[in-house]
Amino acid sequence: MKLFRLFAGATLALPLMLNAAHAQASDPLKTLVIAVPSDPDNLEPGTNKAEPVGSEVILNVFDTLVAWTPPDFTKLEGRLAESWTVSPDGTTFGFKLREGVKFHDGTAFDADAVKFSIERTKASNPYVEATFGLIRDIAVVSPTELKISLSKPYPAFLSILAQPQSAIVSPAAVKKFGDQFASNPVGTGPFVFKSYQADTNVVLESNPNYFLGAPKLSRIIYRIIPDASTRRLELENGGVDIVQQQGQLSSIAAEDIQALKGNPNVSVLEAPSQIIRQLEFNNNNPNSPVADIRVRRAIVHAIDYEGLLTGVFGGTAERVYGPLTSNSWAFNPKIKETAPKYDPELSKRLLAEAGVDPARLNFKLYSFQGALWGAVATFVQANLADIGINATIEQTQFPAYRALQTAGRFDVALDGRQPWYNDPDAHITIGYLSSLADSAMTFRMPKEDALDALILKAQQTVAQEERKGLYFQVQEEIAKRVPAAYLFSPKLIVFQRSNVKGLVINSAPPLNEYRGVYKE
Amino acid sequence: MVSFLLRRLVALLPVLALVLVIVFSLVRIIPGDPAVTLLGPGATNEQIAALRLQLGLDRPAAFQFFDYVGGLLQGNLGTSLKTGNGVLQEILIRLPATLELSICATLLAILIGIPIGVLSATWPNSGLDHVTRVVSLLGVSMPAFLLALILQLIFATYLGWLPVSGRISPYVATPTVTGFATLDGVINGDFGAMWSAVQHLVLPTVVLAAFLATTLGRFVRNTMLDVMTEDYIRTARAKGLSRSSVILHHGLRNSLLPAITITGLKFAEMLGGAILTETIFAWPGVGRFMFEAIKNRDYPVIQGTTLIFALLFMATSLLVDLLYGVLDPRVRRKMQ
Repeated sequence: MKLFRLFAGATLALPLMLNAAHAQASDPLKTLVIAVPSDPDNLEPGTNKAEPVGSEVILNVFDTLVAWTPPDFTKLEGRLAESWTVSPDGTTFGFKLREGVKFHDGTAFDADAVKFSIERTKASNPYVEATFGLIRDIAVVSPTELKISLSKPYPAFLSILAQPQSAIVSPAAVKKFGDQFASNPVGTGPFVFKSYQADTNVVLESNPNYFLGAPKLSRIIYRIIPDASTRRLELENGGVDIVQQQGQLSSIAAEDIQALKGNPNVSVLEAPSQIIRQLEFNNNNPNSPVADIRVRRAIVHAIDYEGLLTGVFGGTAERVYGPLTSNSWAFNPKIKETAPKYDPELSKRLLAEAGVDPARLNFKLYSFQGALWGAVATFVQANLADIGINATIEQTQFPAYRALQTAGRFDVALDGRQPWYNDPDAHITIGYLSSLADSAMTFRMPKEDALDALILKAQQTVAQEERKGLYFQVQEEIAKRVPAAYLFSPKLIVFQRSNVKGLVINSAPPLNEYRGVYKE
Repeated sequence: MVSFLLRRLVALLPVLALVLVIVFSLVRIIPGDPAVTLLGPGATNEQIAALRLQLGLDRPAAFQFFDYVGGLLQGNLGTSLKTGNGVLQEILIRLPATLELSICATLLAILIGIPIGVLSATWPNSGLDHVTRVVSLLGVSMPAFLLALILQLIFATYLGWLPVSGRISPYVATPTVTGFATLDGVINGDFGAMWSAVQHLVLPTVVLAAFLATTLGRFVRNTMLDVMTEDYIRTARAKGLSRSSVILHHGLRNSLLPAITITGLKFAEMLGGAILTETIFAWPGVGRFMFEAIKNRDYPVIQGTTLIFALLFMATSLLVDLLYGVLDPRVRRKMQ
């Protein structure tokens, strides 16, 4: 017993004695600890594949020429570029660069560095081949002026330039570190890369000379914590300041979110995302029962959209009305009015009209793996059963699922897309252009020249208002064809300790900047 | 003795070759290739094809196999598809964390398990024996993740005595020397860092030790009950030896052989990765690394870690056999 008391005493006293030493190592009020579920894939633009952790680190260590303006992220603003022009034909982009900016290694930022960075990423990063492949030439006009010309008009190119893959690297550092640059990334950003320990953490320190003003924090530590319940406990205990809901396919349970909302030490930030999740039809198989538009319409009216949002998601997701989310600058408000409503009686009538006996429709309902997808699949299955359609859920391992989806071996499937750049092009072109039907997980639209031409025209038109009008048309045309039941868009949710202030959630892609964040 | 060792070492080679072939083909039979997994659902076929080319996955499997074996013979375990770093380097970065945890857990299990076994055997069916039986049953049957969660809730959330997860406080910065966080703190003279590392070590150690300690306790109790009925124990008692001397020198020593086997195998298993414990406590060890590699279809990492684990496992069982010799003169004679 005496021994126990001695031990307990020591356990309690030692941390108190050692607290002084801790404070010296790093001031907790100036340090932001962010929990992330996995290691960054890589920390440099030249190899980044839009993986969330590495991408966010890149956006805080490097700068891009342009960036989306908070809080609603519908307008671009200059970062390393002071201003820019787009030629009337949409192929040439001229940039006037900021003067006096220095990389973290002390070397000067200029037009040569931009040319070097973009050409380097173009050569080394297969992820951006489709977009960077359009670059025909980069001309340095003067140290502060630069022209990028494309082989065809592509207005969304500016949005691509706001992505982590397009961040500007220090040419001197690339030369110095060679293929070790990924472990020693050097940019111009508000934070300087300090260290990365595999499976443990990434440490960034503030850049006091940042051209938009020094960050309020002195240090950011990304802690890699793979287990969701551990992340939650750490947040409740104050071991981490921020937990992000990242992940294309995963999310924490609605109950956990409700529990954290009731905790006075934790505040919950929510923002709409541009992620879309849908029950999609195989639109490219004339022998499928869903080739009949009346069957497709019957199914989209069978889904209880509001019930799904409240029952499965407890308010952590929003309704999607059509091919674009309502927070996109190109969203057509008319789509919201014409979106299908839950009406199982109408569904039954439509099936009767089509002469289809629902009892003879035996669907395999394919889905990604995971508890959340399972819950959505079960909900949809029950909705289909209400109109007499029998569906068996097949939650399939991702690579196998991708293989059967791209080969068109399905009738109905749960799928979705998280756009990796902020432009309607990221959903529409890859999703609905018929020539790309087999090239990825798409809506597999059948060949239809008029719709294809409209999509390409919307993609390539330069004038923003005209382009918006074209996307309005595209959305109406797609909705008419009922390629899917658009189910929901998960909200972006960030949990933070109540004393963390100043964070604004970016919606597309969900990568946050910490320059203005501070702790009280 | 030396020839015994040599024979055993030579016998390892075909086993290793078999492990190599099985793992190499198995990872390629699992559906899905790394390029698909690494790029996620949004990727196009074009992007996937380009990455496959970059990773060298477009070459026929047979060529990849011979390249791999060729590399192995030169001591090269290959390069991780995800991180682009050498597999051996990646494993060595994480090995100290796993070693630190496994050694502490094994020591704790021995310190708790063996005395409990001895006490239970000395007073069989006493109150103490009943209590340890119930606790053992709990320890063996409770899943690691549940025990971990309960301990985290009690000691981290409610009492606030220990951290929830991690290996050292993020606010502590101490240079890495050996990779053993506790030891590095001492070497650097940074006792704050050492203390933080010790605090972080407690919960995962307990979780990992629980199963082994309770198994050991039961094992020692049962073998010891058998041993204590042997003639030589009666003889020892008749000679007038003290009770503790009979129990510890004659009883325990002869009951330890099965306990050593279990401890050895369990220790080897821990080295191969306590995946759940490492994941829940965000412990940067080898088990978690391998688990992530399987998820990502990172072929070279899966192959490399399996190979190293096979080696460690075989080395441990060899060590156990040698320990038998040390403890049991009959075995020693056979080895010679």
